[in-house]
Amino acid sequence: MISVNKIFFLIVLSSFWFINVLAQTTFESQFNYAEKLYDEENYFDAVTEFKRLLYFDKSESYDYRANMFIGLSYKQGGKFSEALQFLSLARFHSESDKEFFNSSIEIIKVNILRRTTGRAFALLDTLANDNRFINKSEEINYWRGWAFIFSDDWQKAASTFSKYKSDEQLVELCDSVTNELYNTQLAKYLSLIPGAGQFYTGEYISGLISIGWSVLWGYLTIEAFIEDRILDGVLIGSMLWWRFYSGNIQNAEKFALEKNLEITNSALNYLQHKFAGEKP
Amino acid sequence: MRKILLIIFLVQLTIFPQSTSFDFHSPQKIKLFADYLFCEKDYLRAIEEYEMIRNQFVIDTIEFKVMLGYSNLGLSKNSNKIFSDFNIESKLYPDAYLVSMKNELLIDSKPLHYSEFSSFTSSQFESYVRLLNISALYGDEQSITKNNFLTLYSKEDQNTLSKLYDYKFDPPYKSPAWAGIFSAIIPGSGKMYVGEWGDGITGFLLTGLFAFLAYDNFKADHDTRAWIFTGIGAFFYAGNIYGSISAAQIFNAKINFEFSNGLKLFLENKNYFIPDYDFCK
Amino acid sequence: MRSKHHIFFITLLLTTSAFCQIENLKWQKADLSYEKPNKFRERTYSFKSDNAGELLKKSFVNTYWFFISDVDGDNCAFRPSCSSFFIDATEETNIFQATLMFSDRLVRDTNPIKINNYPRDKSNHYYDPANNYTLNSEEINYLPPTFIVDDE
Repeated sequence: MISVNKIFFLIVLSSFWFINVLAQTTFESQFNYAEKLYDEENYFDAVTEFKRLLYFDKSESYDYRANMFIGLSYKQGGKFSEALQFLSLARFHSESDKEFFNSSIEIIKVNILRRTTGRAFALLDTLANDNRFINKSEEINYWRGWAFIFSDDWQKAASTFSKYKSDEQLVELCDSVTNELYNTQLAKYLSLIPGAGQFYTGEYISGLISIGWSVLWGYLTIEAFIEDRILDGVLIGSMLWWRFYSGNIQNAEKFALEKNLEITNSALNYLQHKFAGEKP
Repeated sequence: MRKILLIIFLVQLTIFPQSTSFDFHSPQKIKLFADYLFCEKDYLRAIEEYEMIRNQFVIDTIEFKVMLGYSNLGLSKNSNKIFSDFNIESKLYPDAYLVSMKNELLIDSKPLHYSEFSSFTSSQFESYVRLLNISALYGDEQSITKNNFLTLYSKEDQNTLSKLYDYKFDPPYKSPAWAGIFSAIIPGSGKMYVGEWGDGITGFLLTGLFAFLAYDNFKADHDTRAWIFTGIGAFFYAGNIYGSISAAQIFNAKINFEFSNGLKLFLENKNYFIPDYDFCK
Repeated sequence: MRSKHHIFFITLLLTTSAFCQIENLKWQKADLSYEKPNKFRERTYSFKSDNAGELLKKSFVNTYWFFISDVDGDNCAFRPSCSSFFIDATEETNIFQATLMFSDRLVRDTNPIKINNYPRDKSNHYYDPANNYTLNSEEINYLPPTFIVDDE
């Protein structure tokens, strides 16, 4: 027979446990509710509910998780500065190496998306030099590659991805982009021969027209000088020949840049919508 | 022993309902959270929360905060709608009255006709007079002299307001007709009169250059070339006259723009008209 | 009793309409794109026209653009470019007034100091539309130099 004292003791103990669990359950259910809003892509309200949880949570046990979700919600809404603010708060409240690492990676991803890649690289270097994360070097390298992509350095991106076998698909993509891109400097220097730069970038008609004008005005200028009509020569040379000649150089560069933008944008489009791996 | 355990159990029973009934969405909790959001200047969320409890808590501080929140978000009409039901007996009524005046001015750019409220404190009365006089700048009646107008405001604002006052009642417009006449006499001078010195000098130089080239070629008996240069010179001369007239018009449009824009910015940014509340201190 | 219902519904309507305005201010999931924006000028070589005169004008303009303007580089610090400005001017007024406007525009383009007078557009050129120069003061849409214009 268990004594009455013992039964009493058991009731009191179990009610302590019960209360604690239930109290936590209400906070936990608020957390779950807010997380559900996040999953339903209702990001503004998700932020409100997480902020509500944080305001009332005196135990600070949700600081990391709630701030992470708030940061990610702002990221989904395109509000990158607010996102970074809350992700940094989450990292500040991280209670384990894993949490610290995950929040740092999310901060890096937001920096990549808003193209402040200098910051992203600095943070990646800090993580790489941190002894706690030696076994995470593959993941750090992966995001370094993405940062190169968003800094428009596809060649370095390819060489970064090639360090690990699992990133083969990305290596292929970056290599193909690097090969297709036009060299802007080359286009400019080729244009010293009128039309050559434009031919290089594939704009044949424009190149032919440029050649035509340069030849015409050049001929007229030289003819004017030969016939000792200096003022005419200077006028035609400066106002017409020079105009079309420098225009030809400008155009070659512009075509190269335009075509490069098309190539890189289509690669970025593929990465955003068709690539199956992890994205920023 | 049993007694001690009984006491502990009973104490827990009192805690039990409180902790499990931690209802995040109870009106009291919503109000606490809303107050926090308001002080964090997250007005949109604060208003959302307050709107949920306004029917249950008819308290003037909540009504006032919602009014201020809407006003800060630029929703002046919503703000004034709340004022229409504001309790006239409330201590906050005079401040709400001032906020509604500012809202009205932002909704409709017209002079205000609000009568003085009997329980204004002296600083509230000062704000009231300031708002009324700012609104006078939207009307056509010059109801107050410039000196009397400026003395109502602080020294740091007097420069801005002096310029706005002048722009309204004595705008420094330039005459398009005179601009055209000046440029007809000396090409480019009309533009310089309007303040476009660079354009004026360029116009003068271009017209002068072609006039000189025409003269030079006529002297050297190159008639066709001379006529071409004359034509181009005339083209620039006529264009300059036209351009001077339109430059004067654009200058006047700029004065009007700087007035209306400047006044609006002054109203929106100045904290004279937002009462000094201590909800968040 | 009836009036109570009315008041209830009106209050409901008012609060929901206030709420709707709040709802509109709440931000949604953003339509993010990895792609970089294209800031290059795209010419529209259209031959769409209502009559023979317009067709003729468009042919002239397109020929000028194709053979000369697109090949001699970016010489105009303004958007719309001087030739487009001239076309817009002829559409808004008549050819004589447009010629005067064009002459004035050339002078303003030759003036190397423009920085304090004109707003800018996205491609960092100065924004200077023809409707400001028609001598009709109601058409003038003054924008301050600090303003950045967003449309094409």
